Amino acid sequence: MTQAKTERTPGKDAKKDAMKALRAERAQWVGPATAKAAEHKKAQKAIRACLAQASATPPEIAAATGLAPDTTLWLLASMKKFGEVVEADKTGAYYRYALAAQAPESGEG
Amino acid sequence: MDSAAHSPQDSPQVVTGTGGTGGMGVFDALVIGGGIAGLQTALDLADQGYSCAVVEKDASIGGAMIRLSKVFPTLDCASCITTPKMAAAAHHEKITLLTCCDVDRLERVNADEDGGSLVATLTQRPRHVDIEACIGCRKCEYACPVLTPDAEQGGFSGRKAIRIPFSNAIPQKAVLDVEHCMLCGKCAEVCPTQAIRYDQKPEQLRLEARAAVLATGFRLSPVADKRQYGLGAIPNVIDSLQMERLLAPHGPYGRVLRPSDGMIPDSIAYVQCAGSRDASMGVGYCSRVCCMYAIKQAMLLSGSLPLADITIYYMDIRAFGKNYEQFYQNAKAMGIEFVKAKVASLDPTEGGAVTVHYEDQTGAGVATREHDLVVLSMGMLPGWQPGQVCPVAIAADGFIDTVAPKTLPSLTAMPGVFVAGAAAGPKDIVDTITEAGGAAMQAAKYLAARAANAGLARTPQARTEKASIQEASHG
Ligand SMILES: Cc1cc2nc3c(=O)[nH]c(=O)nc-3n(C[C@H](O)[C@H](O)[C@H](O)COP(=O)(O)OP(=O)(O)OC[C@H]3O[C@@H](n4cnc5c(N)ncnc54)[C@H](O)[C@@H]3O)c2cc1C
Ligand code: SF4
Ligand code: SF4
Repeated sequence: MTQAKTERTPGKDAKKDAMKALRAERAQWVGPATAKAAEHKKAQKAIRACLAQASATPPEIAAATGLAPDTTLWLLASMKKFGEVVEADKTGAYYRYALAAQAPESGEG
Repeated sequence: MDSAAHSPQDSPQVVTGTGGTGGMGVFDALVIGGGIAGLQTALDLADQGYSCAVVEKDASIGGAMIRLSKVFPTLDCASCITTPKMAAAAHHEKITLLTCCDVDRLERVNADEDGGSLVATLTQRPRHVDIEACIGCRKCEYACPVLTPDAEQGGFSGRKAIRIPFSNAIPQKAVLDVEHCMLCGKCAEVCPTQAIRYDQKPEQLRLEARAAVLATGFRLSPVADKRQYGLGAIPNVIDSLQMERLLAPHGPYGRVLRPSDGMIPDSIAYVQCAGSRDASMGVGYCSRVCCMYAIKQAMLLSGSLPLADITIYYMDIRAFGKNYEQFYQNAKAMGIEFVKAKVASLDPTEGGAVTVHYEDQTGAGVATREHDLVVLSMGMLPGWQPGQVCPVAIAADGFIDTVAPKTLPSLTAMPGVFVAGAAAGPKDIVDTITEAGGAAMQAAKYLAARAANAGLARTPQARTEKASIQEASHG
């Protein structure tokens, strides 16, 4: 069993090595992209946690999460595109946003 | 129509590219630019039996028009008109579409041998996706963890590092950009057809044809060029193409909201001639469509936000086309306020509003007003600067020069090379389509004369035919 785990499968290894080489070659982009993805993942997690309580307007979400209001709206629009949040009712001059029931996960983002 | 009579190079339209190892192809005509002008030209040529390659720099054909909401003066849905043309071009057996392509060189070779050929050398940028294998399922897009501003939505929402460019893009094939990719491998894991190619390289393509039509359109003058209007840094000051996305049915928010915080705007202003008729920006000409698109957007806004105040600050309204004046009068009747004024500057205001400083030209002098959202009616700049790439002549305004603007408006200074649409100067869709039809007709006439000449080569009539080619090419 242990042997099977460590056994080298040439096709897979070649692919892994190729990806490793590409990562090194594209380090100038891979690093910042990874950092951005981590930042957005954290922000989206905070938005999900806020919306899990109740639907909210972008300024309310921004206040609850500490995110800037424009970033909050940008993330909400992105999450809406991938079916994670939906527009709910209106409060004053703002729409409220809610988590979509059984929405498909938009990557790990 | 008997295509063989016109199209002796009927069969060899082979191009590989998009993941093969370079490629080449021989066509009757090359169309550079896959906007509405390029598509209409290609369709009109292909329907006459001529084989065409449409070379597009973006990942999808469709140009500006597929990105618009509705179009003046009819208020038809832009996508409803453009998508069928895009699909017709994609399915036409005489049309080959090449996306993600940069033109490195377009020149005539062997000109003294019966007119020679036009040769285009292209670089096709990698999509990092096998275009034959990709079925457009978007599984990669859903799996990708990287979000980056989506230029297709005015930057108002995010898109993934790998994605289908937009919902009605043609081809419906994914594209991955390495600048935003963290090479996590998730897209390859979920792709049902193993279409991802992380190591795809740019490819060189060589296309040969007897005629070419330049349909490279326009780009919007950048907001960041105008210091008085905030260089693009004032929140809630957007450009007119961004407003098209806010108004579009598949727009970033699904409705018009203020980008700084999602507020439903109560008051929206348009600043006309923001990027035209302005020597300080190097754009001395009128961009012709800005008055009409601002009026159109204002009408659409008053439909979607009936309680909002909509103001258009203008120097003079240029409603030049058929039914356009009526369109303008209708907008006034709907309650849209037209203020004859030159906007001097814009300032951000606490709370997200924008202060507009303007000089009222009806005598009220210098004044100030606040609006929740300000739209800059930016002008049109040439979409392509051929520079060293192609020896076609350029006019003083930077657009492609037309040598007989009154009698044969699609003729350029380069024999066998024609121009259509906004590539020759700012124009609306009606004029673009009309001109595209004219360019196709001129190119067809030129090709027919060339074919006749080839058939008669080295006969006593050859000289006469050569003269007729020159006439077709130069009016
Ligand atoms: C905000 C706004 C709203 C508008 N609304 C309306 C309206 O309601 N009604 C109306 O009639 N008109 C409207 N217009 C005008 C309309 O967009 C143009 O008339 C039309 O898009 C011109 O089509 P075109 O094909 O000439 O250019 P484009 O649409 O610009 O297409 C050119 C194509 O060529 C490609 N290209 C450029 N350079 C190269 C190159 N070197 N190699 C390969 N490909 C290249 C581009 O990527 C693009 O796909 C509007 C314009 C704006 C800015
Ligand atoms: S998952 Fe594969 S087949 Fe589906 S869109 Fe992405 S690349 Fe194409
Ligand atoms: S490899 Fe790149 S494009 Fe693919 S899912 Fe990861 S980050 Fe996205």
